[in-house]
Amino acid sequence: MAAVASRTAGLLRLRAAGAERRWCGPRCAGLVQGFLPPGGEGAAQKRRVAHFTFQPDPESLQYGQTQKMNLFQSITSALDNSLAKDPTAVIFGEDVAFGGVFRCTVGLRDKYGKDRVFNTPLCEQGIVGFGIGIAVTGATAIAEIQFADYIFPAFDQIVNEAAKYRYRSGDLFNCGSLTIRAPWGCVGHGALYHSQSPEAFFAHCPGIKVVIPRSPFQAKGLLLSCIEDKNPCIFFEPKILYRAAVEQVPVEPYKIPLSQAEVIQEGSDVTLVAWGTQVHVIREVASMAREKLGVSCEIIDLRTIVPWDVDTVCKSVVKTGRLLISHEAPLTGGFASEISSTVQTYLGEYPRRHCTGTPCSEKRV
Amino acid sequence: MRKMLASLVSHVFSGVNQKPAMRGLLASLNFSNDTTCDITKCDLYRLEEGPPTSTVLTREEALKYYRAMQVIRRMELKADQMYKQKFIRGFCHLCDGQEACSVGLEAGIRPSDHIITSYRAHGLCYTRGLPVRSILAELTGRRGGCAKGKGGSMHMYAKNFYGGNGIVGAQVPLGAGVAFACTYLGNTEICLTVYGDGAANQGQVAEAYNLSALWKLPCSLSSERIATTQWARLSREQQPNTDYHKRGNFIPGRKANGMDILCVREATKFAAHYCRSGKGPILLELQTYRYHGHSKSDPGISYRTREEVQSMRSKSDPIMLLQERRRNSNRSNVEEWKEIDADGKKEIEEAAQFATTDPEPALEELANYSCTTKKK
Repeated sequence: MAAVASRTAGLLRLRAAGAERRWCGPRCAGLVQGFLPPGGEGAAQKRRVAHFTFQPDPESLQYGQTQKMNLFQSITSALDNSLAKDPTAVIFGEDVAFGGVFRCTVGLRDKYGKDRVFNTPLCEQGIVGFGIGIAVTGATAIAEIQFADYIFPAFDQIVNEAAKYRYRSGDLFNCGSLTIRAPWGCVGHGALYHSQSPEAFFAHCPGIKVVIPRSPFQAKGLLLSCIEDKNPCIFFEPKILYRAAVEQVPVEPYKIPLSQAEVIQEGSDVTLVAWGTQVHVIREVASMAREKLGVSCEIIDLRTIVPWDVDTVCKSVVKTGRLLISHEAPLTGGFASEISSTVQTYLGEYPRRHCTGTPCSEKRV
Repeated sequence: MRKMLASLVSHVFSGVNQKPAMRGLLASLNFSNDTTCDITKCDLYRLEEGPPTSTVLTREEALKYYRAMQVIRRMELKADQMYKQKFIRGFCHLCDGQEACSVGLEAGIRPSDHIITSYRAHGLCYTRGLPVRSILAELTGRRGGCAKGKGGSMHMYAKNFYGGNGIVGAQVPLGAGVAFACTYLGNTEICLTVYGDGAANQGQVAEAYNLSALWKLPCSLSSERIATTQWARLSREQQPNTDYHKRGNFIPGRKANGMDILCVREATKFAAHYCRSGKGPILLELQTYRYHGHSKSDPGISYRTREEVQSMRSKSDPIMLLQERRRNSNRSNVEEWKEIDADGKKEIEEAAQFATTDPEPALEELANYSCTTKKK
């Protein structure tokens, strides 16, 4: 959060200086020099836990009765609605039968039967390939990859099979009824293989959609839209929010449209774009910026990574004149670059910064 | 369903559930303080003959194996305790119950041979030469950890030990590559590639089998069969063929009792000899058992009962089995065991103290070691 706040302040200093020349922000390993704790060798290190506080959105009354749910419960509710409505829908993956390692499929096997909710062996490539096969016949396949970090054995199936099926068959076949769900993003203790945010890898592939919710209410609506969308979708679920995010969620099914970003806070001085967990960090940054710098931030939750809502972001940048994009994934080739260059294509030069994970560059060893 | 599964496990382990006398363990008196022990015959696949069915356990070996297994057991239990105390965070996959596998595998090969394994690696880390303090300090993420505090539980490395790998099954093609290097470099070294039940279903494992057999790589593919894959119980739901030693199809294999260290040792020696002779890869399935759940977030009884775990502890514990061999031959010296216990306990306590007081890596080092600018 300190890094993002610093970036925001930096953008504002540019404004003060009347800078209109092309500006390229400094690449940094996700840490801001000025915000490193003092000390060095032997300095006591404070253990940090969660880096944000989840703020629930106001209750939505337009979809009927609501119930308090956390993120994994809202996912279960969406899956329950899908299985109830669509007799061809099946859920499969590692350990989903007993409820899943994150409890997202609790009770579904008992309710719908072991032929509709079943475990697979430990074989991600097989899971996705199998899911493509189910979807090609017209049934609804909801595949779970246990962690997004494990999705890479399935990369070939997603990119070469799922994404291109409709195109290469001239629309004769498609696997649009495939949805792949995976826990995503940092969790505080996940390290190398339980923390990754691989959305940018898939953004580079036409033919699939990538969606990342910020909250239980968003998750249920977006997941239902993914399941009913006629294109294969990857739905990344911020695992740190599974229990931490709690809000009122409608019990009945409802859909939130894909490829529509949401302006969750209006502002006038700078546009902040994020998705998933980072939206909550950005919200806190916006409060800090308002209190300490008198800066008015407009916050956009992108929601769908591809195809993303170019119009909403561009309109906002036209209004504010400045753009800061923040994501957990590494800087180099991260999705911030795509947003940044696209906005520049349409709007020309403007001050912008990325505040992200580490860049892929040579560092001292 | 649970009762059926418990019964299946009992049946599978029926060879070791009997009293020592009924297992036909013999002890011969000689003046060298050694014990000649019978060991359970291995199931063989595509092999005319297998490892020997009897072996000599010297006094020195008995004490060495006992000490190693006790240290690993205590180290894992200490890690469990430190996790509950939140000194260790993140993921921690314990291998208590499987000590005979790590110690037996090491006993069957040379220090110059190579090993690669999965994330459940603490036991092999120790047998490959990492001191307990560097293992525990790596678990707590400190500078004194064997990976400088950057790898954690799943990523520990040592000379001729390539980890410690987080992604299930990913280590198996790597192991084939290490074995290839042994052949290419013209030495007589081999690579023990260790993996678990779940990895056996990964496509890349089948690819590694194929490559190893095609190029006759000196790769001993050792599957630690614990009858669960991550959280899920090993069953027909996971795979139609649960005989891992036969899954290589064209690769010969054998199945050994992974709770008996001598069985593991002899099976490994046999495999190492096979590989060194240029015959190509061989599969070794070790039937073993882990007492804890898959990781610290798995209570360990989602797919099995407490009674089953307790039964394995009381009837098939590898440390207990080793002690029984010596006791049955009237070779055991209780004072020696106690001295080893005390020594091991002291080593673990000192290591834990180090692991909780050593500083964490400096924040400036966060991105270090991604790439290098060093020239060859």
